[in-house]
Amino acid sequence: MKASNPRIFIAVILTLLVGMAGVTQAQGGTLRVGINAPEVLDPALGSADSEIMFNRNIYDYLIEILPDGNLAPSLAASWDISEDGQTYTFTLVDGVTFHDGSPFTAADVVFTFNRLKELDSAALGLLRDFEVTAADDLTVVFTLPETNADFLFGVGSNFAAIIKDGTASPNVLAEGDNPYVNFNGTGPFVLTDYRPGESATLSANTSYWREGEPRISTLEILYIDDPLAQIDAIRSGVVDVIFRIPLDQLPTLEAEESINIIQKTTNLHPVVRLRADAGHLGEDVRIREAFKLATDRNQINELLLDGLGTVANNDPVSPVYGPFYHELPQPEYDPARACELIQEATGQERLGNITFYVVEAFNYPDVGIVLQQQWASGCIDVEVQVRPENIYYGSNEWMEVDLGLTGWGHRPVPQSYFAEAYVTGGPFNESHWSNPTLDALVAEAARTADIAARSAIYREIAEIFAAEGPIIIPFFTPVIGAVVQGVDGLDMHTFPGRTDFRTVTVTG
Amino acid sequence: MTSLNTPIESAGASGSAFVRQLARRPLSLAGTIIVLLFLLLALFGPLLAAYDYDQLIPGARGLVPSLEHPFGTDRLGRDVFSRVLWGAREVILIPGIATALAVTLGTALGLTLGYFGGWLDEIVSRLLDSLLAIPALVLALVLVGTIGPSVIGLIGVIVMLYVPIVTRVIRSATLNIRASGYIEAAKLRGESTAYILFREILPGVLPALAVEAALRFSYAIFLTASLGFLGLGVQPPSPDWGRMVAEARQNFARSPWELWFPAGAIAVLVIGVNLMADGLRRIFRYEGQLR
Repeated sequence: MKASNPRIFIAVILTLLVGMAGVTQAQGGTLRVGINAPEVLDPALGSADSEIMFNRNIYDYLIEILPDGNLAPSLAASWDISEDGQTYTFTLVDGVTFHDGSPFTAADVVFTFNRLKELDSAALGLLRDFEVTAADDLTVVFTLPETNADFLFGVGSNFAAIIKDGTASPNVLAEGDNPYVNFNGTGPFVLTDYRPGESATLSANTSYWREGEPRISTLEILYIDDPLAQIDAIRSGVVDVIFRIPLDQLPTLEAEESINIIQKTTNLHPVVRLRADAGHLGEDVRIREAFKLATDRNQINELLLDGLGTVANNDPVSPVYGPFYHELPQPEYDPARACELIQEATGQERLGNITFYVVEAFNYPDVGIVLQQQWASGCIDVEVQVRPENIYYGSNEWMEVDLGLTGWGHRPVPQSYFAEAYVTGGPFNESHWSNPTLDALVAEAARTADIAARSAIYREIAEIFAAEGPIIIPFFTPVIGAVVQGVDGLDMHTFPGRTDFRTVTVTG
Repeated sequence: MTSLNTPIESAGASGSAFVRQLARRPLSLAGTIIVLLFLLLALFGPLLAAYDYDQLIPGARGLVPSLEHPFGTDRLGRDVFSRVLWGAREVILIPGIATALAVTLGTALGLTLGYFGGWLDEIVSRLLDSLLAIPALVLALVLVGTIGPSVIGLIGVIVMLYVPIVTRVIRSATLNIRASGYIEAAKLRGESTAYILFREILPGVLPALAVEAALRFSYAIFLTASLGFLGLGVQPPSPDWGRMVAEARQNFARSPWELWFPAGAIAVLVIGVNLMADGLRRIFRYEGQLR
């Protein structure tokens, strides 16, 4: 063998160079995320994790809501609130462009927020009433008829992705050369390939207004509906990140050396809701009470979450909200009393012929099975129907059925839940509950910035839920995600779809 | 002269000859016994079950198999042995009824098409061929997805899937027999069409029918279990074995028996039916030689 073979020498140098490039590389690389497929893509309307994820990468918000619940400037560089709390002036970042090259100006903000009003977006729950105008190209002014303590959270809400002034149909595939012409945002990624139900591929926006971001060059979102399939995907290296892992799968993933678990305490919870309007199952308060008495929430937590969930009240505020949470006397588990109430309310021994629609997410189908068994001892007979997410939410079943189990994700402020789901006419009021006292209290809370005063109002609200609310909340659960080694800088959001990928790096 | 479709002339002699033939083939005998056992399970299983299929036993989550719980307990504390016993109904009776229906309809159709032929035969055969071209599971998914999960729906889907195949087989058996001498003789005697079809041809296609029925049964069981696995069969907490397998996956690391036993039950049953079908096919093939 020749002592010094030039080809070997060159090969060694090349290998060293490539190796060094791999090790020092902080820019570039592909991040692959596994999540279930989105149904509603319109930024003003899409509400599921996968839909928010789709939009927050193509578009930007005026205000970022951070995983810890704090606010940070985004497209709005700074803001000013008037003395009376009724005028908000936002100064926008200069020099931002949309993916099509056109400049971002105040007109785009005005268009976006007026569109939220036009479409009756759920963002209005926190935004409430407002008028918005462009003072100049980089200044936007919001005027409110009365103070709104959560207004800034509304401005940064999941639905308030900033779209270009005049976009007739955002996020709608177009005919012709560029099918993605309507997916035009200022965001860190540009949509380059979208296959509904299969995948979305986005590449880094090279003219992104934030220096050095995004740090990866490609974001690939793979649509995998089944949580177990998502786990298989991350274990076999098909994806790098998954979110919303059922708690009972934790041991499987903890055993994997190359996978890191991310756990965040959140307000994530399933809601078992009866329709409370006239002519429906939960019209009579005694029926609502019977369902609650027949539910053993501690058994559910033990059986299904290994005791790791939080059993709080039957209202959507858990201890995670600090002073806004109040410890009320816990509902009793008393199936005998439930039977009595059924007898009183219906004149019959048992309440039957009810279909219990359960969304297929996390371990909710098992929750449904256990509830069915528990309720049977309380003289309530239901038949379980497990519905895939895209059908339950996509065809609006969740808003129509008499008895359903719906998943609710984390919100930065509890006010969101009340405004979205529990006031008369709320956009997501699946139980069709209408309680004027509750409506008034929720409106008052919106105006009240003082923490102590607000806390008192929330207590009153909690008491109303306890007395006559048509919902049961079996538990609040932490959100669990998993990330493979080599992915750094990923801070999973308490609402996983809102996770920020701009500072994520992929090595190896 | 032997042929696949040599008619068995005397019912009585074929009965005992059949059993003797079966005894000579241990595998097929085993298969037949398995099928009979499962049929008994389907009918009487629930009586043997110590627990209800949906009963949550307090403090009994994920227990290893023991005397108290021969197949262990699942993630919610339900006795797996009881659930398998209860589930035998779903997995055997639904495919069983559906196969019986499919075979009856298919035989009637096959006899008609094979005997009368003509343009009716041409048109209907092509229709059936086009149905046959679609993969079974795909067609089942579409149909069940449209109709929604229900027992009647499931039976309907299985019937729709298997009538074409049964028709094809019976039709071809009929064509073979139609050409033979004693059919001509019967016609000359002036026998009615009904007589010819039911007293002359039908007994001749019985061997093919029996084998086909057994095969269809095994496919139907597997299809039902597959649909249950995909969540398109019956709803929870139904002890449908396919569904049990699907639900057991999430807990496989902690209580693998929750998955082994229903999966094993499906496997044993399908193998048993196939062995039985295989035995039937061999017996009827050689019956002619023995005569």
